[in-house]
Amino acid sequence: MPQFDPAVFLPQIFWLVILFGLIYLFIAHSAAPKITRVLERRQDRIASDLEEAERMQTTAEQVRTDYDLAMKAARATAASMVAQKRNAIKAEMETEYNQLSGELAAEAALAEQKIIVARDKALDDIRAVSVDVCQDIIQTVSGLDLDEKIISVSVNSRFDMMKETANG
Amino acid sequence: MVEGPLAQFEITTLIPITIGGHDVSFTNSSLFMALAVLGVMFFMVAGMRKGSLVPGRWQLCVEVCYEFVANMLHDAAGRDARKYFPFIFTLFMFILFANLLGLVPFVGFAFTSHIIVTFAMAIFVFVGVTLIGLAKHGFKFFNLFIPKGAPKALLPLLVVIEIVSYLTRPISLSVRLFANMVAGHTMLEVFGGFVVALGVFGVAPFAFIVVLISLELLVAVLQAYVFAILTCLYLNDALNLH
Repeated sequence: MPQFDPAVFLPQIFWLVILFGLIYLFIAHSAAPKITRVLERRQDRIASDLEEAERMQTTAEQVRTDYDLAMKAARATAASMVAQKRNAIKAEMETEYNQLSGELAAEAALAEQKIIVARDKALDDIRAVSVDVCQDIIQTVSGLDLDEKIISVSVNSRFDMMKETANG
Repeated sequence: MVEGPLAQFEITTLIPITIGGHDVSFTNSSLFMALAVLGVMFFMVAGMRKGSLVPGRWQLCVEVCYEFVANMLHDAAGRDARKYFPFIFTLFMFILFANLLGLVPFVGFAFTSHIIVTFAMAIFVFVGVTLIGLAKHGFKFFNLFIPKGAPKALLPLLVVIEIVSYLTRPISLSVRLFANMVAGHTMLEVFGGFVVALGVFGVAPFAFIVVLISLELLVAVLQAYVFAILTCLYLNDALNLH
């Protein structure tokens, strides 16, 4: 085998030392640091991006919390405003109702009074007529000519009873 | 004259040089060393030219090699070994390119199939690792030869075995790479000869060569890896005594 010929040893070792030394120096001082830099920069970039994302997420969460709180406060305010308004309207309505019902009651009482007066008057008119009618009927039927006063007493008692019944 | 399957390992002088009466000629072996060096340089310079944040394909290849070796070193030898990373990285890339260049059809020459080359690298690793261990731990470094929890009676024998196995490390390290490369290239040469000799029926050994070439590609990468990881493990022994 040519590998075991001692004549080939020295030149190979000589060139191996030189060329291996050369590539070692190149890698140690140029290539490896450059790759390290690139990898570190990428690592840093990824780390900083993640950090940024985390920070943004925190901010977003903060905003969300703030929004929720604001929403809650606004709802509470709205509810209290609605309640207040409702109470105010209720009170107003009650006042108006009372006032109106008072007026109506007064009017009704007045009207009732008028009705009573009108009815009494009507009854009195009818009574006057009734006495005449009764006198005529009695005369026609029985031929008796009764005194207006006697008839009047009877008719009056009837009408007083009717009035009493009407007035309750 | 018919060349044997071992003729491919012949060293031919390209530029004769002598220094102080010693022959240090630039040979085909030196040429492929230079090609490996230029290949590694080109691979890295061209790959990292832009050094972009988002790597392209080539840059990714370079980064994968870097991270592969860095993880291997970290897993095998821990954090203290970081400063030896450039050496391990160089070793891996140099042997990888050497092995792969050896597989180029017709012109390829694998200088890792020369025992003197692999042995020179192995002995350098061996001496370097031993010196690192001695510098770090002083005499305590020799505790390495005393296996943990061994019975006292067996200790003398075990220490002798440990020392012998430690001293044979450069031999096993260099021979493993050398033998793998020689075996692969010899096999390819032999079956290549069959292809020519069998004429039409040469199709069969040719198909076999296709398979064998893929295997040799695997071996080329694997042996570079094995050389590098064993170096890492030796470094671990020296840095972190048990």
